[in-house]
Amino acid sequence: MTMHDDSQLELLERDLQRLAEPREEDELVRLAVRRQLAAMTAPGPRRRRSVRIAVGIAGVAAAAAAIAIVTDVGTSGSGGPSVADAAVIHHALTAVAGPANSIVHEKVAGVQNGVPVEAEWWQQTSPPYASLVIKGPVGHEGEVSDNGTTSFEYEPRTNTITEQPDSSPPTPIDPVSQVRQELASGQSQVAGTVVIGGSTLYKIDLPNGLVGYFDTSDYRPRYMDDPQRDGSVVRVRVVAYDYLPMTASTRALLSVTEQHPGARVVHASDSGSSK
Amino acid sequence: MELNALAEAPAARVRALDPDAELVARARADPREFLGLYDRYFDRVLGYARLRLADAASCEDVTSRVFTTALEQLARFRGEGSFAGWLFQIARNTVRDVQRRRPTEPLAEEPPAADPTPEEYVLERERARELHAVIGRLRPEHQHLLALRYGADLGYDEIGAILGAVPATVRVRMHRILEELRRRFPHDNA
Repeated sequence: MTMHDDSQLELLERDLQRLAEPREEDELVRLAVRRQLAAMTAPGPRRRRSVRIAVGIAGVAAAAAAIAIVTDVGTSGSGGPSVADAAVIHHALTAVAGPANSIVHEKVAGVQNGVPVEAEWWQQTSPPYASLVIKGPVGHEGEVSDNGTTSFEYEPRTNTITEQPDSSPPTPIDPVSQVRQELASGQSQVAGTVVIGGSTLYKIDLPNGLVGYFDTSDYRPRYMDDPQRDGSVVRVRVVAYDYLPMTASTRALLSVTEQHPGARVVHASDSGSSK
Repeated sequence: MELNALAEAPAARVRALDPDAELVARARADPREFLGLYDRYFDRVLGYARLRLADAASCEDVTSRVFTTALEQLARFRGEGSFAGWLFQIARNTVRDVQRRRPTEPLAEEPPAADPTPEEYVLERERARELHAVIGRLRPEHQHLLALRYGADLGYDEIGAILGAVPATVRVRMHRILEELRRRFPHDNA
């Protein structure tokens, strides 16, 4: 063993210690897990960690109806699904089912194939589900809007908007829409609570492998695990999730032409685009 | 009275050996007292997870699961070994379960606003990623030992108590693991 070997071992030990050294966010994690443990030891009936429940058909109203059914089963002592878990799914579904004739605004971030990606969405909650989406690798996002009959794509390099007719049927296409549908499918399962980013979250296993993580305080979606075809899982952080009233100024958020009034507008047929 | 005293003797010996025995007994009587054990071990379990897993969210998940599992199963802990040994066995199993899951792309972390510079931060992150990859190729029991020492910051005597080995043996084993790690992860700065 030489002095050079000794110094290399010391540097290695220092590197190992740095992997585990405390971080600023640790206090948040400490408090979140503490709350989780305190809830487990609180007096009262113990919650089951994971229970498959039937939420009913679609929509919040259906979820509420299912709660009533589950409550009857749960209180009858038949060993049916937990009322608490049914309530969690009901609240999560309510949190992602916004009022009609408003605008849902979402921003999500994740890493796909090692590349940080972001997407920000504004979409009407009622037909024609007009939308504006900014998404792509960070720093290289594309911007597209659709008013239900026509789509608009903004090209920042040339400050040009290309418009073309869009005959596809308008639907909600925001990132949380799949979570919304699957929560209402009757196949969701509360898989306990977890701590991510220092927050205590309900983990809900959704059909088709999607996993949603909902804040235990306000039930807003915070993360989603999205399984990919190659077997990996992309974790998406829900950076923003809110509903805006439909006004003249918020309506402008749905339009690329309103957002870039100085941009040149061309028709796809004129520009030779085959989109 | 004498008979009772004799019957309690083994438990008293365990209590003398295990510094957590008193808190464990209180937590058994009142689960809310488990928070005392949690406060004592939170940093160590999180550090253990950080040495074995690169993804911050998985480390938090493991920490949460270790303590919820320990609380749920405390009645099964017979006190035959130390509480720390039992707790870190849960941690070891939980890490193994997480590693068996489908891989999750870790979320990009925000670089710190100041010291170090963004370039240094990226280099540091890259170096940490490489070190985690090398640790991940060690045998699981070596990863466990390494995480007890450098993640949970336990002394050789504490690790010896957990593994049922004398501290000198732990020190020798640790040295061999570090040598193996050094061969696989040479340090440019030396």
